Amino acid sequence: MDKRIENKKNIQYSHLFRRFILLTMICSLVPLLLAGWVINIRYSRFARERMEKTLETRVDYHRKIIEIFLKENKTRLDFIARTHTIASLKAKDQLNHILKSLNRDSWTLTDIGIIDENGDHMAYVGPYDLMDKNYIDTFWFKEVMERGSYTSDMFMGFRKEPHFVMAVLKHENGRRWILRATVNTECFRSLVENVRIGKTGQVYILNSKGIYQTSPSSGGEIMTLAPGFESKLHGDVTFRFLEANHTDRKVRQIVCETWLKDPRWLLVVRVNENEFFEEVRYANRATLVSLHLSALIILIVTVLITRHMVSVIKRGDREVEQMNEQLIQAGKLASIGELSAGVAHEINNPLAIIMTEIQLLLDSKKRTPITDQAFGEQFVDSLDQIDKQVLRCKHITRNLLKFARRTHSVMETVDINVFLKEVIDLMEREAKSDGIKFTPILDDSLPTILSDPSQLQQVFLNFINNAIEAHEDNGYGVITLTTGLAKDKNGIVITVADTGSGISHQDIGRIFDPFFTKKSPGRGTGLGLSICYSIVKQLGGYIHVESEMGKGTCFTLTFPLKPPEDLNMQG
Amino acid sequence: MIGSKILLVDDEEIFCNNMTKLLQNRSYKVTAVYNGESAIKALEQEKYDVVVLDLKMPGMNGIATLKQIKELGIITETLLLTGHGSIDSAVEAIRLGAYDFLTKPCEIDELVEKIEGAWRKKDDAWKKDMEEKLKKVVESPSAVFKLFV
Repeated sequence: MDKRIENKKNIQYSHLFRRFILLTMICSLVPLLLAGWVINIRYSRFARERMEKTLETRVDYHRKIIEIFLKENKTRLDFIARTHTIASLKAKDQLNHILKSLNRDSWTLTDIGIIDENGDHMAYVGPYDLMDKNYIDTFWFKEVMERGSYTSDMFMGFRKEPHFVMAVLKHENGRRWILRATVNTECFRSLVENVRIGKTGQVYILNSKGIYQTSPSSGGEIMTLAPGFESKLHGDVTFRFLEANHTDRKVRQIVCETWLKDPRWLLVVRVNENEFFEEVRYANRATLVSLHLSALIILIVTVLITRHMVSVIKRGDREVEQMNEQLIQAGKLASIGELSAGVAHEINNPLAIIMTEIQLLLDSKKRTPITDQAFGEQFVDSLDQIDKQVLRCKHITRNLLKFARRTHSVMETVDINVFLKEVIDLMEREAKSDGIKFTPILDDSLPTILSDPSQLQQVFLNFINNAIEAHEDNGYGVITLTTGLAKDKNGIVITVADTGSGISHQDIGRIFDPFFTKKSPGRGTGLGLSICYSIVKQLGGYIHVESEMGKGTCFTLTFPLKPPEDLNMQG
Repeated sequence: MIGSKILLVDDEEIFCNNMTKLLQNRSYKVTAVYNGESAIKALEQEKYDVVVLDLKMPGMNGIATLKQIKELGIITETLLLTGHGSIDSAVEAIRLGAYDFLTKPCEIDELVEKIEGAWRKKDDAWKKDMEEKLKKVVESPSAVFKLFV
């Protein structure tokens, strides 16, 4: 029964525990996490947008640089063509001098040549042997003759190497000639790639048909078709994501593209998305980690605090319970006390009458002796027995009244150690004959207390008597008496421990109830411990009992250094 | 003392009558009354050596009766009988001038012993009283007329 109640209580406490945790989580963790996540998502989106915009701006800027480079070179050729006559250009070393001047800062142009309207070289400066070549059938020759100036796509040409040319047409005295220069492929490539976008970032140029004009760093040969090319001419910078195969796994890439004005080439910047947004992702991760760490800490602290709180509540409940039990016990004793006082008094009157009747019969017998001897003996025996039983009843009622009418205490200073030694002396002979030894463990520094020695004697005689009787089955044992200062230093603690038969779990709650006894009828009234209880209670103390069947019982008595103020005192 | 006059006051009539018989068997002159009021009346009419008084009675209880007896100013001793084993009321009774108390139920021999004690005390008091009166008579013979007024 007790276990079931305890289980039920434990379930209630764990419900309470869970409710506290849930409430704290709803009130603190959920808002924290929600706010954290929302802020994080918003921030990430904002940061990504900013980075995308920055990339677009950089790509646009890079396009302009490339355009300026191409335009500048074309303008130079145009300028040379305008300011020179064919004759002056054909003069010895003149063209060589011009090429050197043009390449003074950097090696921009590989070679330069002058071609007449029939497609033959009139002059040429450069590393290739091209003087005997005729260009009348080449596409760029046709284009330049038609448009007046032209920048070609990459092509192989006579030199069998990828290159592109710039050419301008000049009219001079009714004749036409072409000034043509080849842009240094290496120089152009380094210009194009001169923008660093992460480790995986790559920059390359495609022509309007999707042919690589510079070779991208991650595979892809120059002058081959770029995979998945879609021709969409427009002036803006476009931004898109692409699933790309990278060795063995798929990688999401960011592709940023923009068209050059002349020639119509497409500048492409590609970068792995992961790498590009690395910083955002790092910030993101750091925020989430610290957010969840905080949540975890809150959770742990909540669990710890809640556990502590529940244990405090538990302790409080237990104390209240114990107090209730003591109150119930005290109430029980009080009501039984009143009842027993009434009963004792009512019984005493008939007992007194019985007693007088016995005396009357004895008086009558004296006056007129009984002639029948057997009857006479039986008469005396019966009267004797009636007298004994009346005395027994009287003993019971006197005990009851003692128990009920305990109104005055005579207070004296008591040295409990000395007091206990006296009590032990009193009991030792009886105990020795039962094979029981006393072991006093007394605290020499124990302070004296103000209490009623006669009542205390009654209490300790009773406890020691009980302890001796607890050994009846064994026939031998040890009674240990200890004294000590209470934990709060406002009282003293005395224990009476025996090695006797112990008290069963069912009985331990009832031992202080009046008339509760395990002794055979006539041997005990069951009032001893309840009288002790009421005395100790009245003196401001309390009794605690622990017992194990077969091992023994330990009574712990705590008395205050001074009796309670409301105690009715004499002395 | 054989022939002592005893007033027995108890609301338990059977107890009272039995006790009367027992005391008469022991040569006492016993009058039994069943409440405090009758006891006072009896004491006003006649002199008694010892009053055996029950503490708990309906109407006037033992203590109240005792107080009244003391107010009468007669020379007598009071012995209290109580069914209540309480020291308190007994202590109060002795403070009010009772000779002693006995708890019910009690042996007749015990009661007789106490009655004898009470009688001796009463006798001492009576003798003392007499001596004082005699002294007065010796000192002023005219006082003899006042003695029995």
